[in-house]
Parts: sequence; structure tokens; C-alpha cells
Amino acid sequence: MALKIDNVIPKEQPAREHTPEERALVLRLGVYVNMRWLIVLMIVSATLISSRVFHIGFSTLPVYIICAIIASYNLIFVRQARSLQTGEVGQVIKRAQTSGNIQIVLDLLMLTALMHFTGGIENPFVFFYLAHTIAASILLPQRRAYALATLAVLAITLLVLLEYYGVIPHVNLVGFVLDTRYKDTSRVVAVLVALATLVYGCTYVITAVSGELRRRQKEMVKLRDQVLEKRTMELEQVSSEVVKLEQERRSFVRFLGVVAHDLQSPLIATQSFLSYILDGFTGPITDGQKDLLERGVRRIDGLLTLITDLLDIPRIEAGQITREMREISLNEVVKRSLEGLDNVAKQKELTLKVELPESSPKIIGASRRLQQVVTNLASNAINYTNEGMVLVRVFDNEKDVRVEVMDSGIGILPEDLPRLFNDFFRGSNVGSKGTGLGLSISKRIVEAHGGKIWAESPDPETKKGSRFTFTIPKKQTAVS
Amino acid sequence: MKQKPKILVIDDDVDLVAVMKGTLESKPYEVIAAYNGKEGLEKAKKEKPDLILLDIMMPVMDGFNFAEQFGKDPSLAKIPVLALTSFSESLGQPFPFQVAEYLRKPLKPKELIAKVEEHLKRGGSQT
Repeated sequence: MALKIDNVIPKEQPAREHTPEERALVLRLGVYVNMRWLIVLMIVSATLISSRVFHIGFSTLPVYIICAIIASYNLIFVRQARSLQTGEVGQVIKRAQTSGNIQIVLDLLMLTALMHFTGGIENPFVFFYLAHTIAASILLPQRRAYALATLAVLAITLLVLLEYYGVIPHVNLVGFVLDTRYKDTSRVVAVLVALATLVYGCTYVITAVSGELRRRQKEMVKLRDQVLEKRTMELEQVSSEVVKLEQERRSFVRFLGVVAHDLQSPLIATQSFLSYILDGFTGPITDGQKDLLERGVRRIDGLLTLITDLLDIPRIEAGQITREMREISLNEVVKRSLEGLDNVAKQKELTLKVELPESSPKIIGASRRLQQVVTNLASNAINYTNEGMVLVRVFDNEKDVRVEVMDSGIGILPEDLPRLFNDFFRGSNVGSKGTGLGLSISKRIVEAHGGKIWAESPDPETKKGSRFTFTIPKKQTAVS
Repeated sequence: MKQKPKILVIDDDVDLVAVMKGTLESKPYEVIAAYNGKEGLEKAKKEKPDLILLDIMMPVMDGFNFAEQFGKDPSLAKIPVLALTSFSESLGQPFPFQVAEYLRKPLKPKELIAKVEEHLKRGGSQT
């Protein structure tokens, strides 16, 4: 079962990354290996000092040989410690602990040999057995630490007893302690008991602490994994909600399309019938009939515009514009917006002037929507101007583009200015032309591009008519 | 002209098609009617019209799907297509192939004839 699960769930850390527990173990093992160099150095200098400075009599050669042995196996362990740092994941703990085990056993043997050649129980360095116990307690699981503590106690006890009973010769530290110490039963027992107590005491305390540490590390990792898992789940949930919302948005926009189509189709058909009659395809008509048919056509026109405008608003608010955005040339947009308006201006004997920058600025925008804005502003300007001119200007600024539509028309009353862009607002001085939605739709379109739109009356330059300005930033920030 | 130019009108609105047919037949045009994109595509392949008037929003196969299928057929690609839309339908939707012109519905009969004449002339001068 476990194997199956392992196969299904990909390993959290795929390659060459250790868990905190592994990292700590490898680090500690490295410290232990490095410490050994220091110990070798200490033994050599202690031997030199005791024999040369304090003239304690003992044979130093075996000591140096032991140091050489320790140094040579340490070379191997240094290399091994390095390979553990970059080695395969998974086996790290086992390999590090095996290595630690071997190292400690070797060290115990070396220490026991060293003790034998430097006075056995006489040597106060006998308490160095503690060092190995501490290392074992830190590096290894509790049981092995106790086993090694026992090994340490057994090794020194065995050495002391063998010397005590004369099985092996005793090396006296001449000039340091009396030659009888190793046979002083009460002293031997006292030292051994003290050492054993210390060894087991240390093992107990340190394995308890490091065991706790290991447990916490494991808990930490588990907690981290749980948090990660929860995050992933939350993320999946959010993204599925986003997908759902997007689906809803799309079906809403599609619904609006169908509504627009179904509302407009009969009107368009009716409009065509009226025009068919008006244009004389069914035979001549009287002036009275013509007048009524024309009124009918105009009313249907108004209704068609209203339907378009009304359904435009929820489409814009559903974020449809953002989907239509691509890189476009603003000059091109303005030119196309004014295509049909030339004739209208001419009929009213107005001049329609356009000033475009030579730089032909590129922006990210919804071409037809921006055309809608410019057409709306310009046709408003033409509608509400009886003489003079309408000027459309485009400015290419560093951070944005600015479009201005200025006229010399009737202007806007000061009290109307703040409400100009509200839904269904019609100026107090313009009668009941239009749906009152053109400017509010323009505002929505400009704002969906991250831009601003405003009106001034009279135009601050000419002191006549009014001026409408909108800006579109060149760099689109996220538009909601 | 040896033969009457053929015009294919594709629109789901039966009444509108009738009016367009009446309008165009008052001139020397032969009008073929189709009431959805699928039917339109079949008739376009069979009849090889000189010009197509295409409504954008239709059941069965809408104008966009029609245009996509239409563009794949090289024998049809040269036929000018005039797309008829009411403003809100077509906003911002890029066509998958070249539409000769977008005409805003409703179109007055005289405007319709003028546009058809214009594009037929243009198409004729190109070949």
C-alpha cells in the first residue's frame, strides 16, 4: 500500500534538497569530523607539553602512531561527509547514522588504546569518554546512543581491570602520579563509577533533548506540508470559481446579444417596410403619407439607438471591452469615427477640423469602442453647434494620449456640468434629443481603458461653446 | 452585361429578406435567399453569386461561423461579402476573413442598391 501511495503522490522534494532533519544531521556529522582534527592536535600538543615541559615520563611513540591512525581515517570521513551533503536524498539519514556509528566505535577504540599507553586510570583525560557519548547522543537514535555509552563504559572498565589484574602491562606516567594508583581499588572503582554515571547521565539528557528536537523538526515539516496542501486546495477552489464566473459572464454577454437581436429584428424589419414604401418601391405616395412614414422611421431609429445603448451598458460592465483590446492606432480610430460626420457638418455649414499628431500614437484599446466615444462626442458637438466649427485634436503625450473635441456651440449650463455623464441625463438647454446615454456610455468605455473623460464650458481657449477631453494611458494597468 | 448579377441574401428574418429581395429585384439583379449560415454556404457553393449580403446574428450557423467556413473555400473567397449588422451585435468582433464592408442595419432601400452597385463595380474592375 505504502509503495502505491508513494508512486501516486510525487515526492515533495524531487532532487538534491534535504529535509531540515537531514540537513541538521549532516551538519552535525560534519562538525564531529572537523572536531577530530582539533582532538588530534590537542593530543599531540598535550603529549609534547607533558613530556617536554613537565618531563612526565612515558613513551610518546605509541601516542603519535595512534594520532596518525586517527588522522588517516578522518581523511576518509571528511570525504564521506562532503558526499553526504550533495548525495542522494532518502538514504541520507541512514548513511549518516551508519557513518557516525562507525566513527564513534573507532574513536572509542583509539581512545582506549591511547589511555592504555598514557597511564590508564591515572590519566585525567579518561573523562574524554564523555565526548564520544555526547557525539553519539547527538548523532544517533536513543538506543544506539545507549549502546555506545555502554561500549565506552565497558572499554574503559575492561582496560582498567586488565591492568589492575596485571593481564596487560600498566604504563605509569612517571613524575605525574604514583605508580600504585591503578591498583588502588577504591579509587579505581570511584573513577569508573563516576565516569559511568556521567556517561549514562549525558546520554540520557542529550538524547532526550535531541529526540525532542527531531520530533519538532518532523512536526514542522508536517505542518509545512499541511499548510502547502491547504494553500493548493484554496488556490484550486479560487481558480475554479474564476472559471465559473467567466462562464457566467460569457453566457450573460451572449444573452444580451440575443436580447438585442430579438428586440431589434422586428424594428429593423418594420423600418425596412416603411423605407420601402418611402422610397417609392410600392408606387407613388402623397406628401402627407411621406411625412408620417418619415416620422415613423425617425421614431424607430430612436428606439433602435435606445436598445443598443441600454444593452451596451451591461456589456461594458461585464468587462467585454477588455476582451476586445489590442494594439491600435489612435489616429486611425479618430479618422474612422469622423467618416460619416463630414456630411452632417457640411449640411449645417459647419467646419469639421481634425488635428492629428504625426507620431501616430499606438495604444492598447478596443478600436470600435473608442470610435464610438469619438463619434459620440463629435456628433454631439455638431448637433449642438449652429455656426462656427468643431475641432477634434489628438495629443501624443509621454504617458497618455489625449483627445479633445471642441465646438463653438450653445455650451453647457454650469449647473448641468456635474451631471453630464450620468445615465439618462439631458442638458436643460438641448430639448429631448438622444437617449441621454451617449455620454455615460462614453465615460464607461474610457474608464474601462483606465482613462478619464471630462467636459469644460466654455472652452478655456476660445471662451466659446464647450470642450470634451478624454485621456487613455499608454501603458494599460490591470483593468477590472 | 450579359447576365443579371447574382446576389445571395443570407438573413434569418424572412420579412427583411422579402424587402431586400423586392428592392434588389427592382434592378436587374437575380436574388437568391438563404435563411441561415448553413443554407447560405450551400447556396454560395452551388450558385457562385457575384455578391453576398450577410446578416451577422443568425440561428443554426451565425455570420461569423459562416465567414470562417466561407474563407476556407478558395473558389468563394473572391466573392465580396457585405456584412449587415445592428451596431451592438458586431462591436469589436474581428472577422476571420475580409468583409468588403460593414453595413449598419436598418439600411434604406436606396442605400442598399447604391452599396451593392458600388461593390459589384469594384469586384468587376478587379478581375
